Amino acid sequence: MALNNNRTKGALLGASILALAGLGSLPALAADAQEIIRDRCLACHTESGDADNPSFSRISDLRKTPEGWQMTLNRMQHLRDLEISTEEKRTVIKYLSDHQGLAPEESAPFRYLLEQDTNRVEVGIDENVMQMCARCHSAARIGLQRRTEDEWQTLVDFHMAQFPGIELHAGSRDRPWYHLAHDETAVKLAEMYPLVTPEWNDWKKADKASLMGRWRVLGYIPAKGEFSAWMTAAKTGEDRYSLELEGNYADGAVIEGKGNATVFTGYEWRGTITIDSVKMRQVMAADKNGQMMDGRMFLAAEDEIGGELRAVKDTGDAQVVAVMPTYLKAGESAELVIVGQNLDGDIDLGDGVSVDKIIARSKDRIVVAATAAGDTGVNTVKVGSADSDVALNVYEQVARVDVTPVNAISRIGGNGGEMEKIRATYRAIGYSAGADGEPGTEDDVRLGYMPASWSIEPADEIAEHDKDHLYAGEITPAGMFIPGDAGPNPERKMSANNVGRLNVVATVDDGGNAVEGRGSMLVSVPDFVERVLD
Amino acid sequence: MKLTQMFKSTALAGSLGAAALMSAVAPAAQAAQEYLLTVTRPGHLQVIDMATNKVERTCDVPGNFGSGSIALAPNGKTAYVLSNGMEDVYGFDIRSCDITFHAAQSTPTLKVKSFQSVAVSPDGTELYTIQNPFGLKRDRFTVEQPRLAVFNVADGVGAKPVRTFPVDRRITKIATTAQGEVILGGADVKAINPDTGEVRMVTPLQNWEKGPLWLPPDAFAMHNQGEQSNEYIMPYVTAKFDSEEWNFETAEWWWGMSRVDLETGEAERMEIVPFQFIVFNFISDPRDPNILYGAFNTLSKHDISKQETIAVKEMPHTYYDLNISADGKTIYVGGTSSDISVHDSETLEKIGSIQLSGDMSTSDLRVATIRD
Repeated sequence: MALNNNRTKGALLGASILALAGLGSLPALAADAQEIIRDRCLACHTESGDADNPSFSRISDLRKTPEGWQMTLNRMQHLRDLEISTEEKRTVIKYLSDHQGLAPEESAPFRYLLEQDTNRVEVGIDENVMQMCARCHSAARIGLQRRTEDEWQTLVDFHMAQFPGIELHAGSRDRPWYHLAHDETAVKLAEMYPLVTPEWNDWKKADKASLMGRWRVLGYIPAKGEFSAWMTAAKTGEDRYSLELEGNYADGAVIEGKGNATVFTGYEWRGTITIDSVKMRQVMAADKNGQMMDGRMFLAAEDEIGGELRAVKDTGDAQVVAVMPTYLKAGESAELVIVGQNLDGDIDLGDGVSVDKIIARSKDRIVVAATAAGDTGVNTVKVGSADSDVALNVYEQVARVDVTPVNAISRIGGNGGEMEKIRATYRAIGYSAGADGEPGTEDDVRLGYMPASWSIEPADEIAEHDKDHLYAGEITPAGMFIPGDAGPNPERKMSANNVGRLNVVATVDDGGNAVEGRGSMLVSVPDFVERVLD
Repeated sequence: MKLTQMFKSTALAGSLGAAALMSAVAPAAQAAQEYLLTVTRPGHLQVIDMATNKVERTCDVPGNFGSGSIALAPNGKTAYVLSNGMEDVYGFDIRSCDITFHAAQSTPTLKVKSFQSVAVSPDGTELYTIQNPFGLKRDRFTVEQPRLAVFNVADGVGAKPVRTFPVDRRITKIATTAQGEVILGGADVKAINPDTGEVRMVTPLQNWEKGPLWLPPDAFAMHNQGEQSNEYIMPYVTAKFDSEEWNFETAEWWWGMSRVDLETGEAERMEIVPFQFIVFNFISDPRDPNILYGAFNTLSKHDISKQETIAVKEMPHTYYDLNISADGKTIYVGGTSSDISVHDSETLEKIGSIQLSGDMSTSDLRVATIRD
């Protein structure tokens, strides 16, 4: 009874603050967050400016992603004795992400880090930034921040004081690292990633689309496969949604999940959803119209294990969203799943591809048996008058197989040690040779993800000599690499642990013709530092 | 305090009688007694009798494990240990484990780190550290000028610097010469007069002028040693390229060193042997300065007059550092793990092992010689 009364009061109070907000005062959340910052942070930080538009020393001189702000608050808690409740922390992260976040264009080049898709070698990184900064952490971590010049320089000073050995590392002791970092790199970063940008000024002013509604979702879960589903986002608060997901894996098995999501900065979707009793996280970016979201879904407990995730909003219009698989071999028949929304009318898979049988059909999922009789080519999948840019690749031969990730790292673990094994998950992508008939050239046609058998081999002669392939781990038929046990191994030279350098080999069976692709796997030591962003 | 220490050393020696006997008798009984010193986790100064290769005494080092850096008093009786996250220096009478000196370098507004850099004046009256201070402001850190700090050993526990002088950044290992200068190992090897702060170049390394095809050296020293030859070695790696194509594959890779004679303060810089494997530390044979020994995954022996590696012994695990007996016959290889591997310097064959109670990690392996 008392609880109910309190709730009612809270709701009324909230409503009155929101009503006031319309009259020119601050929104409730912002006011709350500013009060929390005053209460929790001003023991060290100082406030200036007027009460409605305050400036907090250091805090107000930078912009970050939600994960960036979370890292900042984590550090303040663990290293600077900040005391803050979980709810207060959530409020502050939301407020800072919304008011001092990154515009969609600013985060776009580095979304892989937010998506925890870190089995990659970063490319296109400024050489100076690579040498000075990105030899310890990702370049994306820097690219996902915006600071004043003074703040970039203060960040260098923080690095010096927090990690005093930093200027003695290989790669920094060969140069006056501190002076270069402070006087040159920080100045350059202030030019590359300044606090004030036109993109952010525009995005601050832009109307933000609501992401409430029904979404046609396509994804991939390692060891389970591709799925298509409906995900309903019901509003539970400002930028907060409850989620229900229901659909099918490619083989028809049911996928179901429930969870919730928060949207930061007007486009940063962060969901947590439990699927088949496994907690997973969604990190997606919504487009500016709020019609499409792209990103990744991964295990909450193991963020290396995940796959692409795409959501297309149900606008009531007919739309083809995907076909699974995305290829059909010329002269052969196969079952195809067409995924979309509001699908009516004839199915057209392009010239030379016949629909032999409709196995199952609903407005959002059609299963057909199809035969490619004629020419190879990239066909558009059409259903009635539905919008479609979904391609079905009709091919003659798989000419090349790429392994993704091309470069991966896993970490030994378990065996009574403190850290679990860090695994990696692989997929194979098939290509046809394209018009020039030469695989590995620009005109190769990406056919799509293909089933493959998986094996490992030593990366080179040294790895073979050290028998890395016998100790460093194994790969499952589903392409999951499981590294070896942690700890010294008396069987190995110098009792080395089970680290190693391997190639992961995918073999695609293309009508009796085996086509191989290779990826590089570095099996490394446990990483005892847990970071929100690498 | 003393009781605890004795109890610990007892446990290590494995027998109450043996340990008590050694503690009471050993220091006074022998002339020119050599003790091997190292620091083990979580915080113990290990005093090893090199006549028996047994741990004679284990002193508790206060504070968090630092880097295990050890400086020796010239008379060998006091060992100064860098502890508490490389912030504090403790002086121990190695004959009793009594703490005779303590300097806490940090203050509530200044965090001060020393990277290995601890040394004692040739007369034993002054202690030197290189301080790397960081200002602790309310909402930010500041990076302050590194400095040589001079302490009076006689100030004992609670000692404060009596003089400071600005020095370069990135200074690690330091040592004192017979002339009273302090050798500073950083980007170059320099020497500072601890009375005036005057700095002179000893060996230019990053600022060397060796010609355009030579890679500027990567010079780094983590470990204090060299007392058996009264020398200071700053090793480096360099490469000579065959053209301005800078092909790392075809370049000639070399180990080199700046070796300072601590008797004269003069240094020689030279490429010593081709780079074939990683060596973490080099020491000279006290009998022949052309013979060097190196440790890491191997124990190696080199004749630098011929730029040749004479012998290589594969080790069962990594050892960061090494030291040698005054007669040059016995090599002690330590650091990293919890065992010191003892080798014949002639053959490099293993002739013994000293098991310690914890890992040495980055700790020094030093020889204190007490001549009574």
